[in-house]
Amino acid sequence: MKKESDILEKAGGKDGMTVPEGFFESFAEQMAAKLPPNPEAEGTVLLRPKTTWERLRPYVYMAAMFAGIWCMLKMFTLMTPSAGIDLSIDNNKVLSSALSDEHFIYDYINDDISSREVWEEMYEDSIDVDDVIGEEVEPGEPTYDLADPEATAPANE
Amino acid sequence: MSKEAPQENQELIGRLREPATCRAAFNEVTRLYAEPIYWQIRRMVQSHDDASDILQNTFLKAWQSIDQFRGDARLSTWLHKIAINESLTHLARERKRLSVSLDDEEGRMADLIEADEWTDGEALSKELRKAVATLPEKQRLVFNMKYFDDMKYEQISEILGTSVGALKASYHLAVRKIESYFAARQ
Repeated sequence: MKKESDILEKAGGKDGMTVPEGFFESFAEQMAAKLPPNPEAEGTVLLRPKTTWERLRPYVYMAAMFAGIWCMLKMFTLMTPSAGIDLSIDNNKVLSSALSDEHFIYDYINDDISSREVWEEMYEDSIDVDDVIGEEVEPGEPTYDLADPEATAPANE
Repeated sequence: MSKEAPQENQELIGRLREPATCRAAFNEVTRLYAEPIYWQIRRMVQSHDDASDILQNTFLKAWQSIDQFRGDARLSTWLHKIAINESLTHLARERKRLSVSLDDEEGRMADLIEADEWTDGEALSKELRKAVATLPEKQRLVFNMKYFDDMKYEQISEILGTSVGALKASYHLAVRKIESYFAARQ
């Protein structure tokens, strides 16, 4: 045991390994130059230039969104039963002739009709106005003042 | 050739925690600890070129995780731990690359020591290196830190996470194996 311990004592804690001249000095310098940024430790935010894709991305996403909406609308239109049928007035003969008829417009659209106009219409329809005036009025039945051409409300109310 | 670890510097650790002074402080850490960390790595991997690469990786990893260094452990302990991990990873990777088993590792190490051009050429030193290379990795680490670096058992315990008693037993066993190695060659 004594002999073996002597061997380690003789070696004197040396392993005989060496390094190139100035290795440690140059290593520290090289290391300092090689250290990458460390945002967590240095408290800095890295501002790197945006790539082309990062710049275009919002516009591409927006275009894709609109294309999606267009496709959805197109699909809904194709799926509806009335697809392909033209509902415009010009292609509807009955409706277009009705709208071009002055009387139709007058009767159905313009509802502001005075008593005089009613009277004239009765005349046109060969209704004797005197007969109507001479009729007895049932109790509670509204009467109209025919002398007043603008009368629209019952005179006995 | 100083192989002693520098004294812990609380002011330096304080500057490492400050974002404004962090980088400059780390460069100082590199200057202070590059040498002791290098020797620890070199004694494990034997080759100067490999040791140089691993030393660089060690400091890069330390820099990347410097914000995780809370100062609970000593700076040197933290760096030694990283260096040991890097060294052992390198050795395992080389064994895998060269398809060398743990049992054949001794022969590979002996070849590396023979081929090493960065030595003082002393026969005893070379034989001692070969003897140390026969030890299992953990035992080799303990022997290197105690015999060559003259570290206290308490510090080795901090680095390796092993009890002082177990370290003393491991070192004693390592010395016995080295002595047996020399005895077999006489």
